[in-house]
Amino acid sequence: MTVAVEYYVLLSAALFCIGLFGVLTRKNALMFLMSVEIMLNAANINLIAFSFYHGNLTGQVFALFTMALAAAEVAIGLGIILVLYRNFEGIDVTVPAAMRW
Amino acid sequence: MALVQLESWMALAPTLLLALSALALFVIDSIDPDTTNRPLLAGTATVGSLASLAVAVWFITTGVGDPARRGELALFGDQLIVDQMALFFMVIVAVVTALISIASYDYLRGHVYQSEYYSLVLLAATGMSTMATANSLVTVFIALELASLPSYALVSILKDNRGSVEAGLKYFLIGALSSAIFVYGISLVYGATGHLQLEAVAENVGAEGFDGLLGVGVLMVIGGVAYKTASVPFHFWAPEAYEGAPAPIAAFLSSASKAAGFVIAFRIFTTAFPLEAMTEIGFDWTMAFVVLAIVTMTVGNFAAATQENVKRMLAYSSVGHAGYALIGLAGLAVDGGQIVLAAAMMHLFVYGFMNTGAFLFVAMAEYWGVGRTFEDYNGLSSQAPVACGALAVFMFSLAGVPPFGGFFSKYFLFTGILETASGNPWLLAVAAALVINSALSLYYYARLVKAVWFEDPVAGRGQLTQPTGLYVAVVLAGVMTVLVLPGFGPVADAAYAAASALGP
Amino acid sequence: MATAFELAPAIAALPLAAFVVVLLVGDSMPKKGAFAGIIATAGSLVLSLWALATVAGGEVYNQELYEWAAGEEIAFHFGILIDPLSALMLVIVSLVALLVHVFSLGYMNEEGETGLPRYYAELGLFTFSMLAFVYADNLLMAFMFFELVGLCSYLLIGFWFRTPSASSAAKKAFLVTRFGDYFFLIGVVGIAATFGTLSFAGESSFVVAAEEAISGGETLFGFGAETWVTILGLLVLGGVIGKSAQFPLHTWLPDAMEGPTTVSALIHAATMVAAGVYLVARMYGFYALSPTALAIIAFVGGFTALFAASMGVVKDDIKQVLAYSTISQYGYMMLGLGVGGYVAGVFHLMNHAFFKALLFLGAGAVIILMHHEQDMWKMGGLKDQAPVAYYTFLAGALALAGIVPFSGFWSKDEVLYDALILGLEEPIFLIAYAMGLIAVFFTGFYTFRMVFLTFHGEPRSEAARDPHPIGAAVKLPLIVLGVLAVVAGIVNLAPIAKLTGAEIVFLEHWLDGEYGAVEGLTYHEYHELMGHETSYIGSETLTMLLGAALSLGLAFAGAGLAWTLYNVPEPKEHTRRLGRAREVLGNNYYQDEYQVWLARDLTLPFSRTADRFDQSVIDGVVNGVSSVSLFGSGRMKRLQTGVVTNYAALLVLGFLALLVIFGINGGWFV
Repeated sequence: MTVAVEYYVLLSAALFCIGLFGVLTRKNALMFLMSVEIMLNAANINLIAFSFYHGNLTGQVFALFTMALAAAEVAIGLGIILVLYRNFEGIDVTVPAAMRW
Repeated sequence: MALVQLESWMALAPTLLLALSALALFVIDSIDPDTTNRPLLAGTATVGSLASLAVAVWFITTGVGDPARRGELALFGDQLIVDQMALFFMVIVAVVTALISIASYDYLRGHVYQSEYYSLVLLAATGMSTMATANSLVTVFIALELASLPSYALVSILKDNRGSVEAGLKYFLIGALSSAIFVYGISLVYGATGHLQLEAVAENVGAEGFDGLLGVGVLMVIGGVAYKTASVPFHFWAPEAYEGAPAPIAAFLSSASKAAGFVIAFRIFTTAFPLEAMTEIGFDWTMAFVVLAIVTMTVGNFAAATQENVKRMLAYSSVGHAGYALIGLAGLAVDGGQIVLAAAMMHLFVYGFMNTGAFLFVAMAEYWGVGRTFEDYNGLSSQAPVACGALAVFMFSLAGVPPFGGFFSKYFLFTGILETASGNPWLLAVAAALVINSALSLYYYARLVKAVWFEDPVAGRGQLTQPTGLYVAVVLAGVMTVLVLPGFGPVADAAYAAASALGP
Repeated sequence: MATAFELAPAIAALPLAAFVVVLLVGDSMPKKGAFAGIIATAGSLVLSLWALATVAGGEVYNQELYEWAAGEEIAFHFGILIDPLSALMLVIVSLVALLVHVFSLGYMNEEGETGLPRYYAELGLFTFSMLAFVYADNLLMAFMFFELVGLCSYLLIGFWFRTPSASSAAKKAFLVTRFGDYFFLIGVVGIAATFGTLSFAGESSFVVAAEEAISGGETLFGFGAETWVTILGLLVLGGVIGKSAQFPLHTWLPDAMEGPTTVSALIHAATMVAAGVYLVARMYGFYALSPTALAIIAFVGGFTALFAASMGVVKDDIKQVLAYSTISQYGYMMLGLGVGGYVAGVFHLMNHAFFKALLFLGAGAVIILMHHEQDMWKMGGLKDQAPVAYYTFLAGALALAGIVPFSGFWSKDEVLYDALILGLEEPIFLIAYAMGLIAVFFTGFYTFRMVFLTFHGEPRSEAARDPHPIGAAVKLPLIVLGVLAVVAGIVNLAPIAKLTGAEIVFLEHWLDGEYGAVEGLTYHEYHELMGHETSYIGSETLTMLLGAALSLGLAFAGAGLAWTLYNVPEPKEHTRRLGRAREVLGNNYYQDEYQVWLARDLTLPFSRTADRFDQSVIDGVVNGVSSVSLFGSGRMKRLQTGVVTNYAALLVLGFLALLVIFGINGGWFV
């Protein structure tokens, strides 16, 4: 028997919320980045589950794109985190707060 | 009858030219990795963007994408579409890119990563140009990322400048979060309709029975769009990114990137989510844009009012202008609203000149090293009257003072919204917010004009040089801001044609 | 070969060109731009005469030239209307303007004034505006140029702006006439809104529309059509009263004498002040529809005539006497128009333009002679020293006093005759007639008091014993106008025509369109519209003779009294004997005082209260709004804490808020 698509949606929503929670609570830039990756993967679960549900491949293909883009994003992100580390002697995202108001 | 019958993919020429110039810059970079041959690099970028501009304008004039003449061109299984709106926004992107490239010639003097800088700018421009043509949520997302990723790098390209790095970090983190939300929204839309191509989505709205999911998905898509256009509540990155970024990049992001964000918003919401069907499933998204428009323009203008740092003031004003442009979507209705949509496009067009110009003036001030606050700008007109004259034009146009371009677009927005307000009384609130915020904005724009023209010059300021590239760019932007006045007819026509071809 | 009408725009454009040229390069021109003005006005005069001749040949011109704003309901345009009335007025204006320009050579240039290019430029602008006003084919255009002449008047009165009295007089003139023009503007808007057209002539004129509305018994804006027409007419009349210095807005004109005497001659005697009366004549068809408005015009005119004449009696400054006489004479014209004497009013307008310009220029000559002394008690005995000035001035004085056969007699008599025959039918107009009649006596008196004090007797000052010589540029205009003052009456010798039956009422025929006129703008059509009944004492001739004898007798009585009192070697200030009355008269019936009281003790406190309200409540609200805005701004930007995690939280919160609102609203969660 197949699992109803609703459960996949619930799973992905849970994953999304976990990622969001991480984004909101983690100060470490790398953890922040990982949390965002979890959110992206929550979307991928949705896409693949619905691709199966609808019986077309669009979603799966898009999931591949998403993964590639996520990798690119991480590459850029790591670069920025690197310069962050050099300039602020750490990767706490709450430290750079000179610009405000 | 064209002289040569072009292949249909050639319709993407404006985008391809940008991509090609980016690749050319990579080639130059690989031949001589440490090149600081500024004329060559800036020249390549400028020529590439001008070529893109020329082709886009040529397409518009020859009727490519005009349903009545050559017809809209759908490419790659309807994933991309070249219609009038796409060309209109390609023009905006190309113009801003060209201005930025010219201005960066001086700004990047002594900078290490010259060729990287220009190729990133052109890649981002390619992304924005592709956003204009994207006709599927897949291409929308990919193009959006193509525009975003180089932008993150560009904002933090001054690697030893803490401001630049901080700006880049915030921009990137908020961007990553927003794109996660956006792609999750896309996945929900896909779940509810089974398609990602925009027309196909439209046909299947409400067909599969996941109405709640679709609502949440659409709202998340709005979130992604709001991030790209720097609209509340996804605007938090904007003030910092614009303030910390090199000023030409701030100009680029606040003009071209914002316009690109709006083109996908216009495209997605007019094509994929027909109002009638969406209202049936309980989500009249124009109301969401009504709320966003009012809140965005209010937050932007109010926060700008008491800024001391000129660049940050412009950053907040840019948020405010996003609010004005959102009216284009707020004013859409089941039967009509193209007037407002066209007015919003016109506003983005004019904004491309006046806002770019304003940021480039800041770039010039940074180049001179006069300082960042209003007081530091005091009396600049005695030393640089031409640039300060252009600045006055930008400020008054941004504030919407006649007879500059900014007045007309705002005026069309206002009259358009009053015209459609009969169908949606909330639009009257939008109109009122537009008026109040414009009045408030005059206060802080005029403050800058007052500083440069009427205050006594700061004592001990040295001789100011005349950076050619920056001057050319600022003056060009100023001239264009004034020239849109007589040229407003064609612009309005183009915008209106684009909007009505799109219309719901 | 172009026709006169094709060249009509040039009539006004020539002085405009002179204005521009003098303004730009006047300083380096010979005579500081005087010749440019002379050439331009001479050109205007020639073209005007040509236009007059063409109209006499039976053609008229009513042409829309340029539409500058078009709406769905109404379009605004510039156009030219040349009919007998405007052709006549064009000639008068350009002639007087030319003569004043010539006279200025002697009056301004030779006195070594500074700022001459400004003077000539302003004269050019004035001439342009006045001419354009005269042949305007619609009320809005007329209004615009009406305002422009007002502006020029302001500039020229304040020509010597360094003297405080001149600049304050200029301000007063501007404000008082603007006060009237305000009503005029409302009237223009009202007429445009009511009838959808502002044209004076033709099928689509507001006059025709008003006539149709009245005959159709329509209700306009809640009023009967006739009442509404009266209201509109009276609103326009506000501008007329201000510009033509009628009671109670006459107070600016005596002060306006602070300007150069040439300016007084051109603007404050012959032309601009005539603009008001001319406007009534121009839209006479409209006023003819409203007996009430006409009656008000008649009474305002009659009262002003008497009132101003009585004040002229006690003035010691030669220009002041002339100023009050001007007010009084325009009163006659208004009286004439008000009692249906369209021809009489226009006739007097024409004669007055000539003889009053003459008197002012004569006064200018006297002022030159007297080394810029204007007090008549310091003059005397100039008769022998300056015969040209004396005889021309005398001709003007005789015309002004209305002594047969000088021009003023014929027109004034006709005005009074028209008032009399209407009054015999409707006795209420007899009051207006009586006021006009009594004013004749005063006119004769003050006119000859002025002549005797100035020219006769023994010189009463050093300057009068050794007058400054006057040149040809001064004499020439005096002679031209002097001749006109003597003979201009022959264009309409109505009494003689009635006695002898000779067809010599040329002006009446002229205005009646016997030579050609625009449909609807003729004397007899106005007459039919009004439907005034008239009656006579005995017969028409007898009535006319009685009236003429009465007014002539009174004029002679006034002149005679002046003769006995002042034509002595050492005249005394007999006005002292008037006691309290002199004080009242000398203070102009306290008109200025009560207007100042109105302004200072009534309006000012009210304004202060309003201002206080504005300062405290309105400004408070505005300041409050702005401080709330700035405070709000301060709060708003605090949202931006600088910590990126907070941004993420706020972003998510904002998104959740939207989700909750729209989710619950749209029922997504059920």
